[in-house]
Formats: sequence, C-alpha cells, structure tokens
Amino acid sequence: MKKVFGLLVSAFLVLGLMSTSAFADAAKGQKYYLKYMKDGSGMNGAKFATQHTQAEWKALFDGKAEKFVAEYSKKYPGLDGFLKGDKFEKFMPDIRDFCVEFASDSGNVPSC
Amino acid sequence: MKKFIAPLLIGAALSSSAFAADDSLKQEVEALKAQMAELQSAQSKINIDALKAQVSEIKAHDAGDNIKWNVDFRTAYDYVDYKIQGADKQDNGVWTNKLILGMGAQPADNLVFKGSLAAYKAFGQTNMSSTSYFQGFDWYDSQKPNDSNIRLREAYFLYTGDMGDVHYSASFGRRPSVDGFLANLRNDNENPASPISHNINMEFDGASFKFDFDKVTGISGLYAKLCLGRGFSNTTGAYSMNFSSMGFNPGYVNDDQTPNMDLAGLIVQFFDNGQYKLMGNYFVAKNMMDMNIYGIGGMYMTDPSNPFGSLTAMTPIYNLKDVGDMTGGALSLEVNGIGDGISDFLDDSIFFLSYAFSQTDPNGNSARGIMGTTTYPYMALVDMPGMLGSTDKKFGSSIYTGIQVPGIMKGQRLGLEYNHGSKYWRSFTYGEDTLAGSKLAARGNAYELYYIMPVVGKNLTAQLSYVYIDYAYTGSDTFFGWTGTPMDVDSTPGAVKTAQDLRLSLRYRY
Repeated sequence: MKKVFGLLVSAFLVLGLMSTSAFADAAKGQKYYLKYMKDGSGMNGAKFATQHTQAEWKALFDGKAEKFVAEYSKKYPGLDGFLKGDKFEKFMPDIRDFCVEFASDSGNVPSC
Repeated sequence: MKKFIAPLLIGAALSSSAFAADDSLKQEVEALKAQMAELQSAQSKINIDALKAQVSEIKAHDAGDNIKWNVDFRTAYDYVDYKIQGADKQDNGVWTNKLILGMGAQPADNLVFKGSLAAYKAFGQTNMSSTSYFQGFDWYDSQKPNDSNIRLREAYFLYTGDMGDVHYSASFGRRPSVDGFLANLRNDNENPASPISHNINMEFDGASFKFDFDKVTGISGLYAKLCLGRGFSNTTGAYSMNFSSMGFNPGYVNDDQTPNMDLAGLIVQFFDNGQYKLMGNYFVAKNMMDMNIYGIGGMYMTDPSNPFGSLTAMTPIYNLKDVGDMTGGALSLEVNGIGDGISDFLDDSIFFLSYAFSQTDPNGNSARGIMGTTTYPYMALVDMPGMLGSTDKKFGSSIYTGIQVPGIMKGQRLGLEYNHGSKYWRSFTYGEDTLAGSKLAARGNAYELYYIMPVVGKNLTAQLSYVYIDYAYTGSDTFFGWTGTPMDVDSTPGAVKTAQDLRLSLRYRY
C-alpha cells in the first residue's frame, strides 16, 4: 500500500513540474468585477458581461483595453477611477476572460 | 519560283492568324478585367461587421436553443485508515471514478434550467449496496462510491423577475445543495452551491425563493433565500404486495412506516463585495428519523466447513421512525484576498471562519435499537427513546476555519483546514466528499491539508489531500435517534477512534 502511494505521490510531483502555467482566470475576473466594478456599474456581473458578444469584448479589450476603458469610463462615470488606475491594468486579463466567458453569445447559463 | 512564293504565302497566312490571336487574347484579358472589377465591387459591398453580427446572433440563438453540457470527471485513489477501540486497525486503498455531467439552458431571459447527472463508482465494483443497508440513500446518492448507474444529482429551474428594485428568483427541483459555500474551496469548485456547507451538505429535493436587497439597501450582495426541502417521502411504490388479500396495494399511498422528513431554512448573505463575504443560515427540520428494528430475519446457510451442519445469518428488519425535530444555524465569514495590495501573495489568499450549532427537540417516540448481550443470541431489541440517545433537548456546536494560499508555481493552491464538533453536534453533511465519512460531522477534531495544481490549465488538475479525524465521541455521521448516541470512543469497544483519508486525484473539466 505504501509503495503504491509513494509511486502515486512521485507521479503527482512530476505532474507539478510538467504542468502548463495558468493564464488569465475568469473566476478571478468575476471576483475583481464584484470588488471594483459592481458599485460603479450598478449591475451584477452576469448582466454586465451580456452587454457584448465574445467578438466584441475581444475587440474592446484588444491591446491594453484602451477601447474598453474609453467606452466604459464614459458609459459609467463611477468606473472611471478604477479603469484608469493601476489595478485595472493588473487585473485586466482576468476581467477580460470573465466578460468573454459570460458574453451574450457564450451560451453560458448563469447560476442562481 | 514556286519554291520562293510558297513560303511567303505561308508566312503571310501565319502572320494574319497571329494578329487574329492577339485580338482574341486582348478581348479575353478585357473580359477578365471586367470580371475582376465586378468581383472587387461586389466584395467591397460585403459588410464584414454585419456578417460578424449575424454570426453572433446565430451563436446566441444556438446557445439558448440547446442544453449546454459540461463534464467533470475524476479518477482518484483513496487510502483510508481507521484506528478502532479494542480491535486491530483497518485500512484499504480504493480506486474510484466520479463523473458529473452538468446541464444548463436559458430559453428566455427570465428562465433558466440547471441540472447534473452523476455516477460515482469503485473500480470493478457494482454490488457495493449488498454490504450496506444505506449505500444508495437519497441524501448522498452521487457523493459516495456505489455502482455505475447514472443518477440525478441536480435538476431545477429558476424563474426570475423584479419587484421594483428587488430582483427575485423562484426555483423548484432537486437542489444544488452539495459542495456549498466553504466546501467549494477544498473541492476546487469556483462557484459554491447554495447552502453553507458547514452544516448543510447533502442532496435533497425542494424549492427556493431568493430576494436581492442590495439595491434597496445599498448593502453590497445582500440577499435572503427561503429554502424548502423534503428529505424523505412517506410513500409506498407501485405494486406493493398486500399479504392479507394476496394482491397489490394501491400505488403511492402512505405506508405508515416512515415519516415525511421536511426542512425549512433561511439563508441570508449579509454582505459580499468580492473580498468580504458574510453568510448565515437558520433552519427547522421536522420529523427526523432513525432505524426502528422490529424484527430479525434469519437466513439458513450451509456451513462450508461442515456440509451436514448449518448456521443462520441474521439481518435486521426495520423501518425509519420519526424521533423529533431539530433546529440549527451557521454564521460564516470568508475573506478572499487579505488586505488590499499589501502583496500579491496576500491578495490571492483566502481565509474563512465559521460557527454552527444544532439543537434537538425529541418527541417522545422510541425507535427500537439493537443491543449486545452476554447470552445467546448475544443481542436484544431494546426501545431507545429520544434523539441522539437522550430524551432531553441537546445543544451541539462546531467551529470550522481554514486558509487557502497560492502554491509554489502559478495557479497552484495550498489549503489547510480545521474543525471541531462538540459531544451533541449534529450536521447534515452526509454528502461531503470524504470517503472516510464527513469530517465536518465529527464530534472531536478534524484536520485537512490539500494541494491543488493545474496540469493542463483548469481543464486537467491534480489534487493531493489528507484528512485526519480524531473522534471524541461516536455517532457523528449517523441518524438522529439511538444511532447518534455520543459514546466516549476511548471506552466503547469497536468505536472508531481516528480516521484518515489520503486522496490523490486527477480531474478533467470542460
């Protein structure tokens, strides 16, 4: 039994070395949305993300998300401070993934 | 002369035909040019944006027109180990496969369907229920390794709307009631199911009505949810046999053998701003039950060592009896990101602390239990009144805390959890994903250490976890009457003193 488990744990450690590095994370994006953007936009994340299609979000977040910042600072002045700050630049890839994940044509069904 | 004129005539003829070919070539080139201009003009008229919009429309239509499926499949090796009072320790290594097929559909903006089908089995085993009277119980049907049958884990619809600034949802069906808030961390599930998993983590059918008060109060994330559930239905099946008339009974009638077990609860999310989340619940559970053994069945068997002799294998004949009601509640805080910008490590760390309680209310009924004796047949059926072995109301409590921090490499997570339950603590955590039994039900101390790592992003992950439960009293994860009697594990022969569950798993999700 111990040998089997020793073997499996060794395989686990090797897997850890082989693992692909994680990129942006939609779940983290959802958390950042709730923390920094929900009050400014006045709507929950699921509703916010359905404002655009996946292709439209990708276009808005292209490069350093200049188009997104321009459109949403104007649309929701309460977001202006966050969108033009350092935190948005840091969390932008996660927020982008969140928007794309729950876009109007994503087919994802929101939970209760 | 003829020799001289003939080549000239041929030359002239060839020359005129070359001119003719040149003209036709020019005409063809002109025609091609015209065609190209026509194509260019047609192409310039195509509106790419309109096409993109059309594709999006098709995608959105398709998304709303079908059930969207997802797959959650795990292969695991569990090593379980038990230290038993007055007996040798027991251990085993068990390989399992667990499949959950998730479904979702949204035919209209205000209507959502969600569901999941599941099978959880041990390698090469489909008759595990023959070893247990309660293997296929409805409370954990898809949460304990059983056979390869696909079972209904969740199925419910959500109807949503707005009453002024209050957004509401009404839902009926088999609830999303396992792997709820806090258990989602150890189970590596991004979105927790509905309940607080400290005291409710089991499968049941029922309804919920949720009202969002964040807009009217300005308190971020504030909502209240009324949950109703039936944990057991008092009914016969179809074609049950009537031995008086030697015919069939009418179908689906009250059999007076088992109670309807019901639960009504209120879940309140007091606050959630993405970093601080405070949730509470309070429930009243009616008609809690326990095994009522009203007879012993005997099976005549041949003794292989003595073909001329025989022995009798005995099995209890029982129903489930209502022994009283129970109330309980929990208050749980999760901090997702410690501080604000102190360091990336703290920003990405999660801490939680939870308190829960339970209170019994026995109704005076006695369920008949089985007791060991010193004379043949070394057992007796005895009336055992009350709940958790007592006719008095008993209060139990539990604390649960933990932390999850970033691992060594990006995307990896390390978690550490601890919980303690008092002598009369009783949770509804039968569906907890721990092979050795629910750690959160423990009357004693439980510790857990786990490490999660992505192998192929979030689509393939590996997890190593270790749970150690140090029991102080027996009856932690059982029914509500005599089987839940707390007895000191150090002085009760056969009591499980400690339980360990070391699990290594690979999980595919898409």
